[in-house]
Amino acid sequence: MADTATANRSITTEFMKGIVRDNPVFVQVLGMCPTLAVTTSVANGIGMGLATTFVLLFSTVIASMLKNIVPNQVRIPVYAVVIATFVTIADLVLKAFFPPLSASLGPYVPLIVVNCIIMGRVEAFATRNSPGPSIIDALGMGAGFTVSLMVLGAVREILGNGALLGIQLFGEGFTPMLVMILPRERSSRSVFSWQSSTR
Amino acid sequence: MRKMIIVLTAVMVLSGLVLAATYTSLSPRIEANRVAALNASLASIFADQVADVADLEFEELDTDGPTVYRGSAGDGALLGYAVRVQTQGYGGTITMLAGVAPDLETILGIEVVEQIETPGLGGNITNESFKQQFEGLSTREPIEYVKNIEPSKADNEIQAISGATITTKAIVNGTNSTLDRAIEIIRRQVQ
Repeated sequence: MADTATANRSITTEFMKGIVRDNPVFVQVLGMCPTLAVTTSVANGIGMGLATTFVLLFSTVIASMLKNIVPNQVRIPVYAVVIATFVTIADLVLKAFFPPLSASLGPYVPLIVVNCIIMGRVEAFATRNSPGPSIIDALGMGAGFTVSLMVLGAVREILGNGALLGIQLFGEGFTPMLVMILPRERSSRSVFSWQSSTR
Repeated sequence: MRKMIIVLTAVMVLSGLVLAATYTSLSPRIEANRVAALNASLASIFADQVADVADLEFEELDTDGPTVYRGSAGDGALLGYAVRVQTQGYGGTITMLAGVAPDLETILGIEVVEQIETPGLGGNITNESFKQQFEGLSTREPIEYVKNIEPSKADNEIQAISGATITTKAIVNGTNSTLDRAIEIIRRQVQ
């Protein structure tokens, strides 16, 4: 009985660490590119988070099963192929079943391949643990990533568009702060050009 | 050394097989989605001319330039042509349709098929209020966009989306140049 209790607690701890203590976005500061690029709305955040969780889950399971077979020299290429395979599957499934979401996430789905959260968890956790704990770890990290993207997406959608999940929250009087949803390179470029011009 | 090659090869081959299977099983669905999106866009260009959208029929013309669809009602009456316009926006390629009336001089409207512009800025090209501005414009003169002032239909003007001039410019330029070429081709084919 005592053993099961400890096991249960450690499963919860293992899962929760991805959401709070080792949150991939807010604590580990990993995967910043997709985080900044797709969190212009809550729906995009959820879609990206779930797609990444799917890839993370299957990649870590395969990696932890293969850890004793794969020679050290080809470890990274093998995991890269495994990750790329699942990313391509996720991309095709999104295109087939969720075309609008796939269109709004655009090139960021294929780019999950280079999301450092995935390589990070495969290297730091899956290659040192058996498939069971790896599943829990992947689910926790995936949930942490998804929740983080949802929170950022909610803030940016409310301030930048006056909406949440596409539903308008305020009346005509609300002026959206466009800077909140300016994406990727443009926002960083304008910040840098502002810095250089004030220097 | 040998194990290294065997493992890497095996993983690659397995991955190839899995991907081939996934692609084969999903590609009909992906293609169907693409066709459905195109048909929905074609339908909305001619929708206000028929009582029932299901009566619309489209036929792709055989052209050596832009893709042109001939739109007709159930009884075969020509409703106009829809021209596929591809243009480079801010976020990537914008694919849209521009409809012209059978006289080839009046624009019926535009419809955005695919775009990855910034949501809330360039993404607003999918809003009805933006698309409606093109209805009734002339193909004899190029469409122009104006900022901060009221556009005039008589001068073939539309209002640019604020904060998304690059996107607006891409749509206007793409529509102008593609329509010019397409209309010439349609004229040649019809005569």
